Amino acid sequence: MSKKIKFYKKESFSAILFLSPTLIIFSVFILLPVVFSFYLSFHDWNMFSADKQYVGFDNYSKMLTSAEFWRVLKNTAVYTFCTVPLSMAVALVIAFFLNKKIIGKKFLRTAFFTPVVISAVAAAVIWRWIYDPNFGLLNYVLGLIGIPAINWINNPTAAMSALIIMGVWKSLGSNMILYLAGLQGIPDHYYEAAEIDGAGGWHKFWRITVPLLGPTTFFILVISIIGSFQVFDIVYVLTYGGPLGATKVLVFYLYEHAFKFFNMGYASAAAYILFAIIFILTLLQTKFMRTHYTIK
Amino acid sequence: MFRSITFLIICCLLIFAFSCEKNKDSDGKLTITFWHSFVSSTIPALNKLVQKFEDEHPEIHIHAQYIPTGDALIQKLITSIQSKTAPDISWIHADFLEDLVSADAIYKMSYFINGENGLSQDEISKIYPSLLVYSSWQDTLYSLPMEATNLGLLYNKQHFRDAKLDPESPPKTWDELRSYAKKLSIDKNGDGKFDQIGFFVPIYPSSGPLYPWMVWQWMPFIWQAGGYLINEEQTKVLFNMKPGIEALELWKELYLNSNMSTFTTDYDVAFAAGRLSMAMDGPWNLGRFNELLKNVDWAIAPLPAGPVKQATVAGGEYLTIFKQSKHPQEAWTFIKWLIRPDIQAFWSMNSGYLPIRRDVLQNKEYQDYLASNPNLKAYVEQMDYAQTQRSIDFFTLEITRNLAIALEKATLGNMDIKTVLDEAASESNKLLDSVKR
Repeated sequence: MSKKIKFYKKESFSAILFLSPTLIIFSVFILLPVVFSFYLSFHDWNMFSADKQYVGFDNYSKMLTSAEFWRVLKNTAVYTFCTVPLSMAVALVIAFFLNKKIIGKKFLRTAFFTPVVISAVAAAVIWRWIYDPNFGLLNYVLGLIGIPAINWINNPTAAMSALIIMGVWKSLGSNMILYLAGLQGIPDHYYEAAEIDGAGGWHKFWRITVPLLGPTTFFILVISIIGSFQVFDIVYVLTYGGPLGATKVLVFYLYEHAFKFFNMGYASAAAYILFAIIFILTLLQTKFMRTHYTIK
Repeated sequence: MFRSITFLIICCLLIFAFSCEKNKDSDGKLTITFWHSFVSSTIPALNKLVQKFEDEHPEIHIHAQYIPTGDALIQKLITSIQSKTAPDISWIHADFLEDLVSADAIYKMSYFINGENGLSQDEISKIYPSLLVYSSWQDTLYSLPMEATNLGLLYNKQHFRDAKLDPESPPKTWDELRSYAKKLSIDKNGDGKFDQIGFFVPIYPSSGPLYPWMVWQWMPFIWQAGGYLINEEQTKVLFNMKPGIEALELWKELYLNSNMSTFTTDYDVAFAAGRLSMAMDGPWNLGRFNELLKNVDWAIAPLPAGPVKQATVAGGEYLTIFKQSKHPQEAWTFIKWLIRPDIQAFWSMNSGYLPIRRDVLQNKEYQDYLASNPNLKAYVEQMDYAQTQRSIDFFTLEITRNLAIALEKATLGNMDIKTVLDEAASESNKLLDSVKR
């Protein structure tokens, strides 16, 4: 008996030793900051001084009564609820066709996936040029079909569309890959059976493909909404939250307060509000969708 | 098992050994760390300057460390102060003095000026007074400038000739600026869009990194109209008064008349491509422009005068000494050396920056240099009416942001000037009221 315990002890010791690099990095760079920022969200701290003043729920109440916060939240919601459905719909259609036997399938899959691996900052620099009102590719193409030039970056309404278009472009690839995996998990005999029953292409897609992709759709939806609420890098490089704050999103707002105005406590409170929003949204999704879409 | 632990320990020790800071070089020199964000074209001049100092002070080694962008510099300073690894000397921006002083991170300059190796009041009074306003917080000097800058008018002489304007007489008043800008904004191919813009109005997103730069460039205009951003007691902002409204009206008119919202914000590239005739710019770009504007016939002129007076905005790079420094006196030796008139002349001739004191102009070598560098000369002459903003000791970042939002709303958003300035003023006054004095 004692020999066995000794063995386990020895085993777990080396297990911990091997895990320690990851555990240390995780605790120092993720766990600790998460806990620390929760603590900070009840304090007033400018990062320079040694003392942090306790302010209770002041940071939270100040934020919830600030008009700017609600505008920022609205911008984030508009971005999310436009980008996510668009990206998912387009990804499904592309995945559906790329799952068939077509010429250049491998090339096309790579092409659609490339934006995912390009650094968002580099991509946003390219998109700035695409959106340029004078020399931009997009306005040129629109001009060919007779649409007048749009000032993508410097017009408050157009800037949000510009951001959404780029957001869709950037997230399309990973959604497509997930859908492809989902499509390949659907057995062929379902389609064969449907064909025997006389179902056409549209019926097969709508009655077999879409329902059987349920779990995949659910997964992508949850992940995409979380990702979209956290959007920052493309905003920071493409529009700087402008013009007139029209594309200022929640994480950008947080960044400004943390690293421009040095209100660390306020920024931490914003982070926890973001966490609460994402948490509630995810909870709702699991509640309403899991019953339909998870395989029993 | 034992071997792997030994290996880990050795690794840790090695990392520790390499990361240990050395205060003395092997040859017995003291090392002074100096953080800055000079534009890359200035780095060779800086190396020359440091070399000159080390030749004169063989016991001190200056370790100049480049940190790209002012934003990154301040973030790095915060981390270093917290981790007790602050540099001996660093560039700092006046906007951050409030935080640095409240954290007790930097020395008062009087500590050194009145010390053994000090500076006389006479010497201090040689420095342009406007520069010292900027380096102080609540009337106490916390930093000293290493060079001066201001804003001038960059213009394309060939465009002037093409528009039948005298290239040797750039606009001297707001009215001339208006009419010149109009004449120089040209639609060459008749597609309804300007192919050449007369004057660049520097509007940047108020939420982006360039908004302080936008406000900085607007300040001369409110002064030219006889106004101020804030009252002397710092209890109330004044930018929504008549001078502020006039200054913003000028910007708005110039902005809308040349349809600036479809124009690029890379004004220097547009200028090099001949798509822009006039823009505001500072002496830090002179070195770069010699290369970039090779094919353009360009010159620098003073900013046009407003309805009340002539004015431009003065700036500079300010050096401060950190309390965490182990060798504050040696750090001071470097700053004191930089202020010497002959060093100021040497630095100006090499870097293109302006001297911080007027008596440098008596230097014969410097006079000759200016005679052959008319663009630098234009900037130097402007120093006589260059101003800095009255210090805003509290909420300076937030007030600047409020003003930036108003500038953006009035021009790009085409909103009513009085409304947006009043809005920014009431937000700012709320903050000023909350200051416990």
